[in-house]
Formats: sequence, structure tokens, C-alpha cells
Amino acid sequence: MLKEEFIQKSPVRIFEKSIEGGLHAGNIGILASKKGIGKTSVLVQIALDKLMQGEKVIHVSFNAHTSYIISWYENIFNEIARRKNLENIEEIKEQMIRNRMIMNFMQENISVDQIIRTIKAIMSDGSFNAKTLIIDGFEFTRATVERFEKVKAFLSETQLEGWYTCTLADTEPVLDSKGIPIVLRDIEPYISVIVLLEPKKDYIHLRVVKNHESLERGDMPLMLDPRTLLIAEA
Amino acid sequence: MAFDVHKMRNIGISAHIDSGKTTLSERILFYCRKIHAIHEIKGKDGSGAAMDSMELERERGITIQSGATNVQWKNHSINLIDTPGHVDFTIEVERSLRVLDGAILVLCSVAGVQSQSITVDRQLKRYHVPRLAFVNKCDRMGANPLKVKAQLAEKLGLNPAFITIPIGLEDKFEGVIDLIDMRAIYFDGPNGEDLRYAEIPMHLLDDAERYREELLEAASMFSDELAEAYLDGNPTKELLIKAIRKGTIQEKLVPVFVGSAYRNKGVQPLLDGVINFLPDPSERQNKALDLSNAEAEVELQANDQEKTVALAFKLEEGQYGQLTYVRIYQGMIRKGDELYNTRARKRFRVGRLVRMHSSSMEDIQEGNCGDIVALFGIECASGDTFCHPDLNYTMTSMYVPEPVISLAITPKDNKSSDQMSKALNRFTKEDPTFRTYVDPESNQTIIQGMGELHLEVYIERMKREYKCEVTPGMPQVAYRETITQRADFNYTHKKQTGGSGQYGRIAGYIEPFKEGSYEFVDLIKGGAIPNEFIPSCDKGFRAAMEKGALIGFPVTGVRCVINDGQSHPVDSSDIAFQFAAIGAFREAYDKAKPAILEPIMKVVVETPNEFQGNVFASLNQRRGIIMANTENSIFSRIEAEVPLSEMFGYSTVLRSLTQGKAEFSMEFEKYARVPAALSEQLRKDYLEKHKKGHK
Repeated sequence: MLKEEFIQKSPVRIFEKSIEGGLHAGNIGILASKKGIGKTSVLVQIALDKLMQGEKVIHVSFNAHTSYIISWYENIFNEIARRKNLENIEEIKEQMIRNRMIMNFMQENISVDQIIRTIKAIMSDGSFNAKTLIIDGFEFTRATVERFEKVKAFLSETQLEGWYTCTLADTEPVLDSKGIPIVLRDIEPYISVIVLLEPKKDYIHLRVVKNHESLERGDMPLMLDPRTLLIAEA
Repeated sequence: MAFDVHKMRNIGISAHIDSGKTTLSERILFYCRKIHAIHEIKGKDGSGAAMDSMELERERGITIQSGATNVQWKNHSINLIDTPGHVDFTIEVERSLRVLDGAILVLCSVAGVQSQSITVDRQLKRYHVPRLAFVNKCDRMGANPLKVKAQLAEKLGLNPAFITIPIGLEDKFEGVIDLIDMRAIYFDGPNGEDLRYAEIPMHLLDDAERYREELLEAASMFSDELAEAYLDGNPTKELLIKAIRKGTIQEKLVPVFVGSAYRNKGVQPLLDGVINFLPDPSERQNKALDLSNAEAEVELQANDQEKTVALAFKLEEGQYGQLTYVRIYQGMIRKGDELYNTRARKRFRVGRLVRMHSSSMEDIQEGNCGDIVALFGIECASGDTFCHPDLNYTMTSMYVPEPVISLAITPKDNKSSDQMSKALNRFTKEDPTFRTYVDPESNQTIIQGMGELHLEVYIERMKREYKCEVTPGMPQVAYRETITQRADFNYTHKKQTGGSGQYGRIAGYIEPFKEGSYEFVDLIKGGAIPNEFIPSCDKGFRAAMEKGALIGFPVTGVRCVINDGQSHPVDSSDIAFQFAAIGAFREAYDKAKPAILEPIMKVVVETPNEFQGNVFASLNQRRGIIMANTENSIFSRIEAEVPLSEMFGYSTVLRSLTQGKAEFSMEFEKYARVPAALSEQLRKDYLEKHKKGHK
């Protein structure tokens, strides 16, 4: 399969369709679930889709070594490339590596200002004009209105779209009556899209609980295979 | 002393430059009673440390060659292999790592885990060398062993646990607390050789208890017995040591010692640690490949009774001739034994056998399994395997990277010219990453290596050891050429000049070959080219690939396939088909869309966060691709891939950009295509040079 067809047939197209065509520049999106369900995998698949289209992606992580993140990308790419019989794999990989930047912040207490400064530095001094920001492992119990105000302003300024993963607590209740995770209650106004990953009997279900300004929420016609952690049409 | 393999250790000291490795080595030698006065490394008395056998190293304060030194500590025999700290000497490091059973990773308590510590640690991981950490320089301003321990976990992904903790720090650093025996140790006497044990100072009791708990918890993971005893409240010293040892050998635990080699503090407990926690040769798995059995893997038995297998890991040209350091993996080596060099396929007899001490040597009759000894007057290369004549084993071949940089050197006078070839001959034998050849066009001697510093050091050594002065040219990157698509050829070589003519026609195609540098495939059916001339075609292609048509660099990554041809009963010959292949290759080369490749280095820069933007920009300007950035509240570690041609002089640039507060390391990563504009430029330069040469 050629790259163009591969991109066109990607399940990420369905994902985007369910959220008004995508997250869009300047917005914050969140993938939320309990631990170990596959949030990172879904984010990496979104990132890979952007990378394949030749867009630049910055992957920010708070809790993993860069080599660990790189192997996430490697493994998922190799798996989907193998399944779809993708052509010119080496070339595509090469291009993706050029377009991907991994940023690892080693300590919990690094301020949002420092992170923003670093990303700005890489975009300007490093001439890395990314379109997408992936933020994995942020501890939302530390999320404050002030912080997300800054993040939102930064994303608007740089025209980045920012996807976060959010780990939900193990103890109930985690959702409010509208289905929004309680941990996100205060910062909800800054967030455009929230997608929940919910384990069902033998698959993982994706549900949109906030969809821009639209009232159209509900199930995505997608599922996540708990074994391979790949998304596919339901 | 009766020989006991369990009382033997082969260890290396791995570290970043300036973390005090040489001082530590020397203290170890001293406490093991081998040398009688301690010299400082940059010695006031000019005698320098005993481990650095070369003058140059003394002057630079760094250690280049890995000397192997035997010492005795508490009834154990320790071979100390001094490994160089700079990445430009990677092959030296790797060669020594191959023969180590354990290592001491030395870290500076002020600077902590630096980018080169990370490189060194990665090498240790690659060879699965269990390690202890020694946090040195606890007497310095800003010493913070706690931070260093945290970095061992964060930056190196290790599982560190304190075995000793400091009593006081900086100028108040007095001694250490031993968490296994729960007592304080002070180092008395002019050189800290008299150990005084005392109660743990009251104000440190809580800390000591806490870190002992940590140690017990960490060690309990490796021993159910200890875990039980710990829960019952009476873990014994023996159980604890056994568990730590197990975790260390499995590379799942890193015991951390603190001290200051310079102030003679904390070294003896580290030596106890070497004995207690690092493996003896029989506890390590070593494999060889059986050349008589399709290179099947054979596990070696660390046992004197088995047939001998040994590895030559280092050559040294001394005043008495060539000295070959070998590590015995299986069986023994006795004086007068006959051994077989599997690479050279030659038998030889063991003459003089010695054990090396710091600056003296001791003649011995035999070397036991696991030991490191040196042989005299053996003709061999570094990396050769020596076996019992019944065996045909080779130790897994050591990874030797291709050189990425070259430099023309011209001797300054006639005398230097003679000495130069002597020196080069020896260096290339010692160091497989250092190569040399004479460029047939310019008639200049070219040296090749792994980096600027690597070559500089050899030029320095020529001057010092051989009194040979040379003028170096501009460093030159080792480019390669390759093809990007398939192209057919059908070429006839015909020559009629008096006597017998030359005739050969070959047809086929060339295509990109990803898995290696060259492959020759013969698809000829029905004898269109007589069998005897097929190897001539292969030879011709190889010759054609030595110099690409684009910029005159070797061509790589090509599969040459022949499927048709023609010969003449009289005029065809070996040479005719070689010429035909050369012509065929040239014919197809242009059509195969050739491209220029350049070496890309993996560069790691560590900088305080304030200069992060400058570093990003400097890498970006150098056509670098920034791969990753890891930062905490103070430092950033930036990983990038940068073409080697852009890295000349980077250390100076980086220094001025960051007020000297950043540092970087680089190693060869891969070859990649050069961008179109640069490719044009290289081509233009080459053609101009070529034209000049022909005028």
C-alpha cells in the first residue's frame, strides 16, 4: 500500500470525523482513562498519522525515557506498516524521525513557564515549526486554571494543537453527571475535546464526552484492540 | 598462594574525564601495596600516576591506553584494567570492556552524571558488565552525592543503593559510614591507610538507619532468605552481602560508594565492594564461535582443566618487543604451550609469560583460567583468539566501526619519514579504528580514525614516542557514494594492439543493496562467460567500486548481477573480463542515479537550561536534526544527529555559546545522503581538483 492510501484509510480519519474534523490549531484535547488502557498508544497513533502527512510533532513526556518513547513509535509504526503492507517503509521512517521531537521533563516540579520556554526555543531557535503537541503523563491532579490558561494562550499564539493523556483515579466516582472526568472539572472551559477510553468485555471503547461547542457527543465508531493497542473501525 | 578462580576479579574503572579516575586507580594500587608513594596525577614531582604509562597522557591528564595491572586485596587477585574516558577513543574502551567482569563507574559528586558518563554506561550495558558506582570528590565545594545517586536512577535508569554514606561534605568531609556493618570509618595516617572504626556520629544516625533500610529493601528483592530475615528483624551481614551481590551481577542493582580519592577517603570500602559484589570469572557467561562447525556458539567453561581459549585484547610495543595482553577464558596458558591463532591460522609456542604490575612485570610459569596475562613476542593482531590446537574457536568478533574522518600527514624531514612508517605500523596494529594508506594520486599518507581528537592524539604520539614531526592537512570527511536505482549494462571490452588482443562482453545490471556494501550475483546460464572468468568479473566490479565517478570516494551498497556475456577463444582473459566489468560498472553507474553519502554523528549536548536556545540554534545551523531534549530544572540534555562535516571546531563554538558550561559527546551513527546543494558543491570541488591534477 502506498503512503497516500494508507493515510486515507487510517482509522484516525474516523477519529477526526467524530470530533468535527479534528482538534484544530490552538485547541486542547484530552484522552482520558484509567491506568494501562492504551491512552499513550492512541496518542502515538494520532502523532504517527500527522508525521506521515509530513507535519511536525513535539512529544512531551513527564515520566518516560526518550528511548522508551522512541520504542513506542517504532513498535506501533512497524505493526501498522506490516498489517497494511506499507511501501517505502525506510523512507517514511526517515521522514518521521526528522519531523518528530521528543521532549522529556524529568521532574514533576518543572513549571509550565519552563516547558513553554523550551518548546518556543525549539520552534524558533531550532526552526522546528510543529503543528501538533503531544503531552503524555501530565498529572492532572496538579492542573490549575492558571496553568491551562497559559497553555491555551500559548497554543493559540503558536497555532499548535495539543493532545494530553489524563489518567483517571481507580476509585469511583471519576465522572460527573455529564460524563466529564471530575479531575478536569475546573479546567474544562479551556478544553475543546475530551475522549474517554472505556474497557468493555473484549475491546476498548472510545466515547466523546466533549466535542468542541457541538452537542453531538457519544460513541466513536472505533475500538481499541486491548492486545495490540491499535485503533480500528468498530 | 593456591589459585582459586573465586578469588579473582577482572575489573575496569570507567569514567568521565576529570572525575578523578586516575587518582582513584593510583590509590587502589597504593592500598594494595604495589606502589610506595602516591603521586598526584598532574604531579608536582613530575613522576605522575603509575597507571598512565604514556607521557602524553600524563601531560593531558587523561588516560588513553588501557594498561592491565594486577593487585592483591584481602587474599583476592584483582586485575585492574584502566579504560579511557573520552569517547573519541571508543574502540579502546570497548576492547577493554570485552574482557572485564565488572566495573567501577566513577562519578564526580559535583558534576554528577555527565554526557560522557552516559556514553560509558551505555557501553557497560552493551557488554553486560555489572558495576559499582563510586561518587568521588566528596571534599569539593558543591559536593552532593544524593543528587548523583538520584541521577544514576534518572539519567542512567539504574537502581542505585548506598553502601557507604559520607560523614560531612566539602571541607568537612571526614569519613564514611558503612551501612552493612553500621559503623563509621575514618581514614587515618598520612595516606589514609589506617582505618579507624567508630560509632556512627549521633547526628547521622537517622540518615544511616534510613539508607540502611533502603539498602535492605532493595537487596531483599534478590533473596527471599534475606527478605524473611529482614521481616523478622535480623538480617545477617552474610545474607545481605549475598543478596546485593546477586542483584549486582544481574545488573539490577548498583551499589554506591562515596569518597574522595584525592583525600584518601572511602577507597578501601570500595575495594571490599569489588570483592563482595562483583563477579569472579566463573560467574560470567562467555561464548565463542566454533569455526569448524559453521560458527555455532559454544559456551566456554571457566575451568583450568578445559582446553585453552584466550583473547588477545591489547598489544603494546615495549622496549623488549611486542607485548600481547590476553584474557584466558577457558583452560590455562603455560610457558612452552603450543597455541593456535584462529584468525592467522598459525600455531605458535608460548615463550615468555608475564603478569603486569603497574610499571614492572613479573615472569610467571602459567596463567590460570579467568586471568589476564601478557605474552612476549607473539605475532598477532588485537582481537585474535588463541586456542588449544584441537579447537578452532573465535571469540565473538568485536564490533569495529568504520573510520569517519581522515587527514593527510606529511613528514617534516627525512628522518621523520622513516619513523612515521614505524609509528603508523604499530598504531594500526594496536587500534583497529585507526587506519592508514597512501593516496595513489597525491602520494600523501592518509590517516583515518573516529574523530578529530582521535587523530590528534596519534599525531602527538608520533612526535613524542618516535620523534617524528608531521604537518597535518585539513581533516577530510569520509564520504561514500551509492546508487539509488537499478540500471542495466551491456559492455564489450575489445582491444587489438599487435600481439594477442583482449576481448570480453558482459551484460547484467546493478541495483541498490541495503544489507551490505557489495554483493556479486552470477545468473549466467549455459556458459556465456566461461566459469574461469566469473571471478574476474567480481574482481573488476570491486575495483570499479573503490572510486566512484561522482567525487572519487568508495562506492557502497551495490549488488552487481551478471546474466549474459560473450567470450573469445583466444583473446579472452582474466584481465580482459576485469576491464569489461569496470567498463560495465561505469556505463551503468550514471544511469543508476548515484548519490553521495556522508557520516552522520550522534551528538549529545548537556547544557544549563539558560543556553538551551543557543544550543538548539547551533545544531540547527549545522544541518543537525534535534531528536530529543531531556531536562530537569537546571540542565538539558539534547540529542541530535549532525553531519560530521559540520562538527569541526564545534567544541570551541559550544564553549563560547555557553560560557564553557556545556559539554558534548559524539559518536558515529550512520551514513546518509547529502542534500542536493551540497552534493553539487562537492562534485564541483572534485572536478576542479581533478582538472588541476591532470594539467
